[in-house]
Amino acid sequence: MYGWIWRHLPGPLYLRVVEAVVLVVGIVALLMFVVFPWAEPKLPFNNVTTQ
Amino acid sequence: MPPRGMPPRPRPVDPPTEVIPRVEDDYDDEYYDDDYYDEDEKDALPPESFARKAVRGVGEGLITMGLVVLLFVVYEVYVTDLLSAEKQQDATAALDSEWSSNTVTPPPADPNRQSKLNLIEGKAFAKMYIPVFGNDWKFSVVEGTTDKHLEIGPGHYKDTAQPGEAGNFAIAGHRVGKGAPFNDLDLLESCNAVVVQTQTQWFVYRVLPMSSEVAGWASNPKSKQPACTGVAPLSTTLGDAYAKTVGQEIVLPTQGEVIAPIPHQTAAAVPADKQARLLTLTTCHPRFSDRQRLIVHAIETKSYPVADGFVPPEMTEG
Repeated sequence: MYGWIWRHLPGPLYLRVVEAVVLVVGIVALLMFVVFPWAEPKLPFNNVTTQ
Repeated sequence: MPPRGMPPRPRPVDPPTEVIPRVEDDYDDEYYDDDYYDEDEKDALPPESFARKAVRGVGEGLITMGLVVLLFVVYEVYVTDLLSAEKQQDATAALDSEWSSNTVTPPPADPNRQSKLNLIEGKAFAKMYIPVFGNDWKFSVVEGTTDKHLEIGPGHYKDTAQPGEAGNFAIAGHRVGKGAPFNDLDLLESCNAVVVQTQTQWFVYRVLPMSSEVAGWASNPKSKQPACTGVAPLSTTLGDAYAKTVGQEIVLPTQGEVIAPIPHQTAAAVPADKQARLLTLTTCHPRFSDRQRLIVHAIETKSYPVADGFVPPEMTEG
C-alpha cells in the first residue's frame, strides 16, 4: 500500500517527499478533527456522569 | 659529525618522480549504477505473487491501524485539552462580561432565602476553585452534563441544588482529556476546601470525612485543625439519613442516587429546609475507564458576599 502510493506520486524525489508529507498531514487532520470527535462519544472511556 | 679522516658516505640519489597515468576505474560507477543495483535486488527476491502482495497488504494495514490507535490516544489526552481550553476560556470571558455588566443585588442575610440563579444550559454561571490543586486550578462551571457541556468545563447536573442552596449541588467533570478538570479528584482529602464563586457570593465547601475516618473522627487530631471547623461525619450531626454520605466513594454508573438531595436517599425523608448544603463532584473511575464513578461529597462551611478585592482566606490554603 505504502509502496504503491510512493510509486504513484508524480514528480522528482523532492516533490514526492513534499507530497507524501502533505498526504500524511491531511490524513492526521482528518482523523483529529472529523473522525475522532465523531467516534469518541461511542467509546466507553469518558462518561463521567451518573444516570 | 663523522670522525675525521673518513670520506663522507655517498648519499642515495632520489629517483626521479615517476608519473603514473590515471587508471580509469569503473567499479564505483558500476556499483552505484541504478540498473546494476536493481537487477541484483530483483534477482534476490522471489517473483511478486498474489500471496506476497496480500500478506504485505495485511501487514501494512495492521501497522496503519496501530498508528491510528496511537493517534487517538494523543487526541484524547492532549488535543481535546487544547480544544476544551479554548471553550473554557470563551465561557469564562462570557461569564466575566456578564458579571461586570449587570447590576448586583446584595445577597439576603438569611442563607435559606437565596435568590435563585437563572441557569441557561451550556452557559457558565459560577467559578470553582480547589486551592490544594494550586492557584491555577480554576474552572467556570456550566449548566448541563451532556458531552457538549462537559467539553467546556465541569457541568452542573440540571435539577440539583444551586450553589449555597440546601440539597446537593452536583457537578460532573472529565478526568482525562477535555481539560481534565477532575483529574486529581481522588487526591482530595477530608477538610480540603472547594470554593465556588457566583456573581454575589463565595461558598466554601469542605470535603467530608472519608469512610475510614468516620468512626474515630472525634478523637482524630485532624478534626481539631482549623480547616476542619464545621466538618464532621454527617451521621453524627444530621442523623442516619446521611449515614452513607462520606468524603469519597466509588459507585456504579447506574447509582444516580449519589446526587440526590440526600445522597443515597431517593425518597427524601428530610424536609428541604433541614437538608444539609452539600456539594457532590462526580467523574469516571478508574482513570481511562467508565466502569465506575468516583464521587466526592463536601459540605458548605462558610459563605462570604462578593466584594471588590476580597478573596476568601480559604483560597490560599494548600
